[in-house]
Amino acid sequence: MANQQLLTDLRRIVGRGQVETGPVAAATYSYDASLALGEPGTVVFPTDAAQVAAVVKAAAAAGVPCTARGFGTNLSGGSIPARGGVVVCLSRMNRIVSIDPARRCATVQAGLTNLDLQNALAPLGFFYAPDPASQKVSTLGGNIGENSGGPHCLKYGVTSNHVLGMQVVLADGEIVRLGEAAFDPLGLDLRGLFIGSEGTFGIVTEVTVRIMPKSESIITMLAVYDRLGDAARSVAGIIARGIVPATLEMMDSPVINAVEDSIRAGYPRDAAAVLIIEVEGPAAGLKEQAAKIQEVCLANGCRNIREAKDAAERDQLWAGRRGAFGAIARIAPNYLVADCSVPRTRLPEALERVAAIVARYEFKAGNVLHAGDGNLHPLLLFDARNHEHLERVHHAGREIMEACVALGGTITGEHGVGVEKLEAMRLIFNDDDLDFQRSLRRAIDPAERLNPGKVIPAPTRSSGQAGGESGRSPMECGSEATAFAGARTSVPPTAGAALPHSTHSEEKSLLPSDAAEACEMVRAAATSGTALLPVGGGRRAEYGNVSSRELTPLRTDKLTATVEHDPPNQFITVGAGLRWAKLQEILAADRQWLPVRPPLADGCTVGGMVALAACGPERYRFGAVRDRLLGLRFVSGAGRLIAAGGKVVKNVAGYDVTRLIAGSAGTLGLITELTFNVLSIPEVSRAAVARGSLAQVAVAAGELLTSNVEPAFVTVAPDTAGGWRLAVGFEGFETTVKWQIDRCRSVQQRAGLTVADDVNYPVYDGLHAGTFTEIFARPFVLRVDLPPDVVTAFVTQFERVVAGASLLVDLACGRVSAGVDRLADGDWTAVCAAAAKAGGHAILEKAPAEFKQRYDVFGPPRPEWRLIQRIKRETDPHDIFCPGRGPRTNAH
Amino acid sequence: MPIEAHYDEIARCNRCGFCQTACPVFRSTGREAGVARGRIALLRAIIEKRIDWSADLEDPLFACLLCGACTAHCFPALPTADLITDARSDYLDRVGRKPLHRLLFDHLLPYPKRLRLAARAAALGKRTGMSNIAKALGLLRFLGRDFPKAEEIVAQFPAQAFRDKVAPGEFPGRGESLRIGYFVGCGVDIMAPVAAEATLRLLQTVGKTVTVLDNGCCGLPALTYGDRKAARRLAAQNLDLLASHSFDLVVTDCSSCASYLKKYPQLFDEGDRRREQAVAFAAKVRDFVEVAAKAERPRTTSSARVVATYHDPCHASRGQKITKDPRDVLRSLPGVEYRELPEADWCCGGAGSYAMGHYDLARQILERKMANVARTGANLLVTSCPACILQLSYGVRLAKLPVRVCHISELCSPAEAGAVCE
Ligand SMILES: Cc1cc2nc3c(=O)[nH]c(=O)nc-3n(C[C@H](O)[C@H](O)[C@H](O)COP(=O)(O)OP(=O)(O)OC[C@H]3O[C@@H](n4cnc5c(N)ncnc54)[C@H](O)[C@@H]3O)c2cc1C
Ligand code: SF4
Ligand code: SF4
Repeated sequence: MANQQLLTDLRRIVGRGQVETGPVAAATYSYDASLALGEPGTVVFPTDAAQVAAVVKAAAAAGVPCTARGFGTNLSGGSIPARGGVVVCLSRMNRIVSIDPARRCATVQAGLTNLDLQNALAPLGFFYAPDPASQKVSTLGGNIGENSGGPHCLKYGVTSNHVLGMQVVLADGEIVRLGEAAFDPLGLDLRGLFIGSEGTFGIVTEVTVRIMPKSESIITMLAVYDRLGDAARSVAGIIARGIVPATLEMMDSPVINAVEDSIRAGYPRDAAAVLIIEVEGPAAGLKEQAAKIQEVCLANGCRNIREAKDAAERDQLWAGRRGAFGAIARIAPNYLVADCSVPRTRLPEALERVAAIVARYEFKAGNVLHAGDGNLHPLLLFDARNHEHLERVHHAGREIMEACVALGGTITGEHGVGVEKLEAMRLIFNDDDLDFQRSLRRAIDPAERLNPGKVIPAPTRSSGQAGGESGRSPMECGSEATAFAGARTSVPPTAGAALPHSTHSEEKSLLPSDAAEACEMVRAAATSGTALLPVGGGRRAEYGNVSSRELTPLRTDKLTATVEHDPPNQFITVGAGLRWAKLQEILAADRQWLPVRPPLADGCTVGGMVALAACGPERYRFGAVRDRLLGLRFVSGAGRLIAAGGKVVKNVAGYDVTRLIAGSAGTLGLITELTFNVLSIPEVSRAAVARGSLAQVAVAAGELLTSNVEPAFVTVAPDTAGGWRLAVGFEGFETTVKWQIDRCRSVQQRAGLTVADDVNYPVYDGLHAGTFTEIFARPFVLRVDLPPDVVTAFVTQFERVVAGASLLVDLACGRVSAGVDRLADGDWTAVCAAAAKAGGHAILEKAPAEFKQRYDVFGPPRPEWRLIQRIKRETDPHDIFCPGRGPRTNAH
Repeated sequence: MPIEAHYDEIARCNRCGFCQTACPVFRSTGREAGVARGRIALLRAIIEKRIDWSADLEDPLFACLLCGACTAHCFPALPTADLITDARSDYLDRVGRKPLHRLLFDHLLPYPKRLRLAARAAALGKRTGMSNIAKALGLLRFLGRDFPKAEEIVAQFPAQAFRDKVAPGEFPGRGESLRIGYFVGCGVDIMAPVAAEATLRLLQTVGKTVTVLDNGCCGLPALTYGDRKAARRLAAQNLDLLASHSFDLVVTDCSSCASYLKKYPQLFDEGDRRREQAVAFAAKVRDFVEVAAKAERPRTTSSARVVATYHDPCHASRGQKITKDPRDVLRSLPGVEYRELPEADWCCGGAGSYAMGHYDLARQILERKMANVARTGANLLVTSCPACILQLSYGVRLAKLPVRVCHISELCSPAEAGAVCE
C-alpha cells in the first residue's frame, strides 16, 4: 500500500489527476505483454524530466522503488513492478522536440511511439532504422530499455546502433545527458551501457536518434517452401553470397495459417514456411541482387518466389508479419514466446530441437524468425488459466533456451531478461560474469531503487568460485589460448618508439601467455599495489591522461590465438594480441574482412583497437568498432576473467558489457579475447574525388548525405594546392558502386567542384591510412566530434589553429582529426568550448606529457563523468588498471 | 449476458497491447484503464474475484467510447465494446442504477414528441423544475452533458424540429417502385432538421413513396448505458411500428441508428419471435450514405472554392464497414475538392463520453481531431451522424477553424448542395 506522505508528494509533483492508486491501478499496471505479474502501489504520469526526477526523489525518500514503463509491450516482465513501489509511466511524454534532417538526427520524448516517429520522418524522406514488429505500440524509451530489434535490423542494426544520446534521470534524481548529436561521447560508452539495461540504470526522458534518408528502391519478395529446413538453409546461403538483405524474416506453417485466418496477407496456406526477403538501396544493381537471392532460394528447395508488385502488396505482406504474434493468439488464449538466437547456419538444427521439445511437452506451437539474424521466436500456445500448463510451458521454454545455448546461441536476442529469464542468465554467464554485472548496478544504482529484481539473478555463491553452470572456467579458456599462442608469432614493438611515457617501466613488462596467467598477474598486482597498463601494439600507449603512479605494462603479445572462425556465420574469435593486419589475412582466405580501418592500423592489435574504440571514416557505412563486436573476454580489476556478449549478432542478455569495455582504454581491465562480426570483401572500393573550396565541399556533402546514395565515407582534407579535396567512397558490387559514383559526380559538379579521377583504393588500408600516419606523427593530435552539419564551419572558425596541420575532416560522421605541432593553451580551451557549444566535444588523442600535466585531455569535466568514476571504483577497487588515465571530474 | 459468461472470450486477451494504437481514450490519457487491454484485465479480475464490483469501476467501464477501434487492431478481435456494454449492465445491477437513466429510457425516449418538447424546453431554459429532465437529456450524446448550461448548443438549437415541420406520413417520390421508410433518429430530428429535409428530398428521387416514420428512439443510448431491458423495449416498439408497413428499404441518415438497427437481432435470444421479426427488419435497413452512393448526384456547381474532408463516424466505419461510399459521393460532387482526413476513422469523442463526467477527456480527443482537420486545409467537414456533427461543430468553434460542419445529405440533395457550399 502506498504511504500517505508519498502520495501527497506525488500529487504535488505531477498533479492530482496524474496519480493513480487503488485496486484499478493495481490491476491494470500489474502486467505487461509477458506472462509475469507484479503489484504496483502507485502509478504516476509525468510530462517532463523535472517531474520524473522529482518523482524518483520522492520515492527514494519514502524508501520505495520506481519502475519505468512505456506502453508495457515487452515480453519479459520488464515493466512490471516486481517489488511494488511507483510505476513511472511515460505514456504522456510523447512530444517530438526536434527533427533535423541536415544533422540527420531527431530528438523526442521517451514516451513517443516508434511509429509516431516514423510517421513524422516519412514526409521528410527519412526513417529511423529499428522497427520492432510492435512499433505502433512501443515507445522509444521501451525500445532503449530492451535494445529492441526489428526485421530491418539485419541490414541496419538494433536500437543501440542508432541512439546517439539521451537525457536520463538517475536513481538519485539527478538529470544527466549521455551522448549527444555528435558520435562517441568521451570516456566510457555510458550511452551504450544504458541501452538494454531495462530501466535499472536510469529513466530515459528524452532520446536523440540517428535518422537516415530512405532508400531509393525496395524489392520485397515472398519465398515459399515445402520444408522448413530448406528455408533455413536459404537464409545462410544468401548471406554467404555476400548479400545483406534489409530483412530475412521467416514464418512456419502454423503461423502462416493463423495470419491468413485473421488478415489474409497472401501467404499460401499449404506452405511449410515462407521467407519475407527485402533488399533495399540504390536502384542500380538491386534487381541483380534480387535475382541472386532468387537463385539461392530456388537452389535450396524453394517452391516459388515472387516479388510484391506494388506498395499495397508489400504492406500486406508486412502486415502479416507484424501481426504474427497476435494472430497466433487466435489459436489459444496465451503464448509463451522464446527469443533465442543462434548462429544462423544452426537454425535448421535449432528448429528441429525446438520441435522435439514442443512435441514432448505436448504444446501446439508456431515459429516466427528474424532468420537473417539467427533470432528465433517459437511461440508455445496454451491457456494460462490452467496452472499445470503454465508450469509446463515454462519448463519447455527453459529447455528451448538450453538447446539454443548448446548450439552456440543466447537466451534472448531482443526481448530482454526482465524477470522471466533471470534464472536462464546462468546458462550463459558464470558467477564471475554475473558479479561483474552486479558491480555495474552497484556503481550506478547502489540502493536498487530503479526497477529492482530484473536483469541479473540474485547471487548463489553455493556453486563455489568461478565457473557456474555454463561449464566454462577461465582455466579452460586460457589453456586453449596457450595451445594456439605458440603456433603464431607476433612482432614485439621496438622499444623506445613504443612507450614514450617516462612512467612506464618497460623492463618490468608482464607478458601473460594466456588469460589464466593474466588473471594471476592482476591478482598479484592487487596484492603488491602495482598499477598496470595494458599494452597491445604499443603505439598508442600514451593515450589519455598521465598517471601519477608508475605503470607496469601488461602485454598481450602472446594472446594471439584464433579461437574460432566460422565463415558461414561471419564471426571470428581471436586473442586480443592478434595484429589487425594478421586478422585480415586470416579472414581473407574466406574472402572476408573486418570492415574497420583504425588509424595506425598496420601496427595495431585488435585488442588495442577495441580498447580505444578506434575506427576510420568508414564507420559511416560499416559501424564503429563497438558496432561490429559481438562479444569479448577481459580480466577485471578483481583478477577474474569476465565474458561478455557472445557470438550471435543479436544478444540482449544482461548489461551490454561489450560496449562498456570497448573504448574503456584499459581502465577497466585487460581485454584477452574478441569476437567480431565480419563481412564479405566488397567487389570494388572506389572513391569519387573532387577539388574546390570548403564552402563548395560543404554544399556537396550536405546534399549527398541527405540523398539516397550510400557512401562508405565522405571526407575532406586540404590538398597541396591550398584548396580542399573531397573524397566520397563507395564499396560493394560493381554495378551499384558505378551508378552511385555517377550520381555523386553530378552532385559534385553542381556544387562547383572540380572533378578529379576516381580512385580505386585497397580494401584493407582504405583511402586514409597515409593521412592518419601523418596526423599521428605530430606531437599533438586533436579530435573534435561534432554534429555533422557544423564540421566545415568549425574548421573555418579554427583555421588559425589547424593551419599547417595534418588534417582529415570526416563530413559524414562529424569528426575533425588534426595533427599539429603546437597547441596554445588558449586554443585548446577555445576548441573545447566551441565544440561543446556546437553540441560536440574535443579530445587530445595525443599530447606531450607536459601539456597533459596542465590539462585534462578529455576537456572540462562533465556531470556524467561521475558515473565513470563510480564504475571504475566499483569494478577495479584497487585501482590497478591505468589509474588516472580516464576523464577527471575535478580537473582544472 | 452477465460478464462471467464471457470468461473464455476475455481469457483470449494475450495482453499484446496492440489496441493501444488507436484507442482515442488511451492516446489522450495514456491510462491502461482507458484501453481495451486494461478494461479486459479488469473484467478478468472481476471474474476471478481479484477485485470487487465498486464505484472504482465506473470510470474504466463508462469512459469507453464503444468506438470499436481496439477491435480493429486486435488479432483475436475481442469485441471490447460489446463486453463493456454487458459489463455496464452488470455494474448498474450491482452498484446501482441511476434515476436519471430511468427517466430518460423509460419516460422520454419511447415518445418522440415528448422528447422534442422536453429538449426545446430545456434548451430555452423555460421551466425551472426541468433540471432533472435536462440532466437526463444530457446523457444523449447529440446533446451532451453540459446541455442545460452549454450556451453554444442553445445558440445553435434549431427553431423547429424536423417532425414538427414535416408531419410523419407518406410522401410521393419520383422512383419507379421502391417503397422507403425514413427512420428519423432523435438527433437528426431535433438537432439537424435541415439535414433531415435534405435526406427526405434525396430519398424522393429514389423511392416511389417515402414514409417519414413516427418512430421512437432506436434504443442505442439505453444499451450504451447498460440498460438492456429498456433497449429491448424500445426495439420492440419500433418493430411493432414497422410491422404495420411493408417497406422495401428502411433508411436512416444517422449512422449510429443505422448500425444499431442492423444489429437488432442480437438483442433477442434465439427462439424469441421478436428475433425473426428483427432479422427481417435488419435486412431492409440502409445507411443514408449507402443509398446516396447509388443515387443520382446534383450537378450544381458552386462558385465558392469548396475543400471538403470527411470524418468517419465509428458506427459507419466500424459499425457497418462503410468507408468507401461517402468518399465516392464527395469525390463525385462538382466543384468540390476532396481531401482525406488523417486518422479519419478516429472517434471524435462525442460518443457517450460526456455522460459520466469525462468532459476533459472528450476535449483532448477532440483537439487531436481538430489538429488533423486543420492539417487538411479543408473548409467543409462532412460526416453522417448527428452526435458527431454536434461534437465536431463544437471543436471547430473551440479551435477557431474557418470550417463548416455538415451532414453529407446536405451536400447530395438537389436543392441544398449549392447553398451549403456557398
Ligand atoms: C506482438 C509483439 C511483437 C513484438 N515485436 C518485437 C520485435 O519485433 N522486436 C523487439 O525487439 N521487440 C518486440 N516486442 C517486444 C516489445 O514491443 C519491445 O520490447 C518494446 O521495446 C517495448 O516497448 P514499450 O514501450 O512497450 O516498453 P515497456 O514494455 O513499457 O518497457 C520495456 C522495458 O524498458 C523499460 N523502460 C521503458 N521506458 C523506459 C524509459 N523511458 N527509460 C528507461 N527504461 C524504460 C521498462 O522498465 C522495461 O524494463 C514485441 C511485443 C509484442 C507484444
Ligand atoms: S489488442 Fe486485443 S489481445 Fe491485444 S491487448 Fe488489446 S484486447 Fe488484448
Ligand atoms: S471501444 Fe474505443 S474507447 Fe473503448 S477501449 Fe476500444 S478503442 Fe478504446
